[in-house]
Amino acid sequence: MEAELKAPVKPKATVERTLQPAVSPRTALAATGGQSKLDNRISTRTLNLVLLVALALAIVAATGLGAVRLSISEVLRAFLHPSRAGDAGEIIFQLRLPRVLAAALVGAALSATGVLFQGLFRNPLADPFVLGTSGGAALGGAVGIFLIPSLSFAGFGATAVLAFCGSVLTMILVWYLARAGGRFAMETLLLAGFVIGTMLNAGTVVFEMREEASNSGLRVLAAWLHGQLSIPTWSQLALIAPLVGIAIVLGLPLAGRLNTLALGEEYAAQLGVSVARVRVATVILGSLLTAAAVSLGGLIGFVGLLVPHFLRILIGPNHVRLLLPAALGGATFLILADTFARTAFAPTEIPVGVFTAFLGGPAFLYLLNHRSRESRQ
Amino acid sequence: MTAPVLEFRNVSFSYGPRLLLDRMSLGIETREMVALVGPNGVGKTTMLKLISGLLPPASGEILLQGKPLAAWSRRHLPRTVALVPQELEIPFNFRVEEIVAQGRVPHQTLFGGATPADHREVESAMEAVDIVGLRHRPYSELSGGERQRVKIAIGLAQQPKLMLLDEPTQHLDVGRQIELIALLRRLNQRGITIIAAVHDLNLVAENFASIIMLMPTPGWIAGSAAEVLRPELLQRAFSVSQSALGRYCVSPDSEGLTQVR
Repeated sequence: MEAELKAPVKPKATVERTLQPAVSPRTALAATGGQSKLDNRISTRTLNLVLLVALALAIVAATGLGAVRLSISEVLRAFLHPSRAGDAGEIIFQLRLPRVLAAALVGAALSATGVLFQGLFRNPLADPFVLGTSGGAALGGAVGIFLIPSLSFAGFGATAVLAFCGSVLTMILVWYLARAGGRFAMETLLLAGFVIGTMLNAGTVVFEMREEASNSGLRVLAAWLHGQLSIPTWSQLALIAPLVGIAIVLGLPLAGRLNTLALGEEYAAQLGVSVARVRVATVILGSLLTAAAVSLGGLIGFVGLLVPHFLRILIGPNHVRLLLPAALGGATFLILADTFARTAFAPTEIPVGVFTAFLGGPAFLYLLNHRSRESRQ
Repeated sequence: MTAPVLEFRNVSFSYGPRLLLDRMSLGIETREMVALVGPNGVGKTTMLKLISGLLPPASGEILLQGKPLAAWSRRHLPRTVALVPQELEIPFNFRVEEIVAQGRVPHQTLFGGATPADHREVESAMEAVDIVGLRHRPYSELSGGERQRVKIAIGLAQQPKLMLLDEPTQHLDVGRQIELIALLRRLNQRGITIIAAVHDLNLVAENFASIIMLMPTPGWIAGSAAEVLRPELLQRAFSVSQSALGRYCVSPDSEGLTQVR
C-alpha cells in the first residue's frame, strides 16, 4: 500500500513502460480524455489476463505434481483425450484434478468473500475466517452431517443448506455484537468474530467427539477443522462451481455500491444507496460463497485477507475492479498453497489451512498494526 | 413567483426526549445563500439531515421544489439535494477522482456503469473546485482544505439545485476559509442554492445574505445579518454575556426581525 501512496506523480517505470509508451502523465491525461490509465496502477484487463493464464498454468502444473509425478505434456494429453489416458487418466480425473479444482473454487470463493466483507465492514481485515462465518458454516455443516443426513433440499444436501444458514446466522450475530453508534469499531469486530468463531468451532469439535458418528462423517469434520481440502466428486464440483460463479457475477453490481459505502453508511444513503439492501445482499452472497468454500475445505483462513490486500496494492481499492482479479488470484493462490501442502513433506500431507495460517497470520498482524497506527495519528 | 426551493411547514424533530426543532416553518428561495448558525448541539446537523432525507421529521412537512420530501424517490432526491458532510472517513486508499465519481451514483443504474456524461460531470466538478491536479492522490494524504474541496466536488457531481454543507470551514486556516467561502459564492452564482452550517459569525456576517439562527429553547430566527446577529439574540442563543459578544454583533438598530419565536 506504501507504493501507491507515494508515487502518484512518477509512475513506476518498469510496470508502466510495458503497458504503454513512456508519456508524461499530463500528455497521457489529455490523450486518454481524462481516463486514469496513466497511473501506476495496472489496468484490470491486463491483470485479469495475467491471472487467467497463471490459473491455467497452476491447474496443469498442480495436476502433474504428487506421489506419481506426471509431466506437463502427459497432463495436457490426458486433458485432450481423457478416454485414452490410462493409468495417468485415473490419477488425474479421480484424484488430482478434482482436488485442484476444489482448491481453485475454495480460493476464489474465500477471496471474493473477503472483498465483499471488507467493503461491507469498511475494514481490510474482514475475512470469513476472521469474522467467524467460516466457523458458522462448518458447524451448520456438522449439524447437517450428523443430525439430519438424509434431508435434502431442492437437490442440495442438508449439509450445504445448513452451512449457508450457519454462515448467515454467524454474520448477523457478529453484526449486532460489533455494531455501535452506526459503525464498527475495529477491535470489537475482530473480538466478536474471534470469540464467536472459537465457540462455533468448539461446537463442531463436540460433534466430532460423538461416538455414534459414522466414520466418514468423522473424517469430513476432522478435515474441516484442520482446513484440509477434500477430493470432491465430480457431481459435487458440478454443483458448487456454478454456485461460486454466479455469486461472484452477482457480486459485481454489488461491489459498485460497496465503493459508495466506503464513504460511510450515512453518506452512501444520502447518495441514494439503499444501505440495508446492500447489507442483506452482501451477507447472502458472502455466506453462499463461504458455505461453498467450507463444504470443500473447511476452515481455511486468511485467503480472503491476503489476496485482496495484495491486489489492492496493484490495482487500488475499487471493489468492482477488485472482485474478478481477487477470485482468479485466490483460485491460483490456493492451488499453489494446496499443492505445496500436499507435496512438500510427502508422504505427509499438511492441511492447506495450516499453511495459509502461517502466511496469513503475519499479514493480518501487519495490517492490524498498520491500521491502529493510522488511527492513532 | 415560483415556489421556494425549500420549505419547512411546522417541522418538529426530537432525539429521544430532547426536542431540537419545534414546529419550525420557513422558506428558502432559489439561489439564496444561507448560513445556519447556533450553539453546538442545537440541531444544525440534524436540520441538514432532515433536508437531505436522512432523517424523517417527527411531525410537519418539508417541501423541496414544492413537493414533499416523502414523495421524492431515493435516487431522485440526491440529484436535487447534495449534503456535504463534516467529516469523511474512507478506510481504503481511494483516489480523489474515484471518490468524486461517487457523486454520479444517483444518476446511474445498478447494472449500467459510468457513461461519458458521468465522466464529463466528474471532470467539470473537479475543475469547479480546482482539484484536477489532485485526481490521483489518495484522499487520506490531502490537507483539510483539499479534503473540503473534494467533498464539495462529490456534491457538484450530483448536479444539485440545493447544496447543504456541514461546517465547511472547520479546521481550515484563514486563507483556506476565505477561499472556501469564495468558492461557495461562485457556486451560488451558478445557480445553486446554498445552506451552510458555519460557526464563525464574522465569516457569516460578511458573506451570507440570509441567516438562520437556531436557539436552544428550541426556536429559530431567520433574516439578514443585521436582523439576526444582535446582542440580545446572540446572548440567548449562545448563553454568554453581552459584553463578551461585542464584536460579533452587527448593528443593534435594524428594522426588525422577519421571524422570531
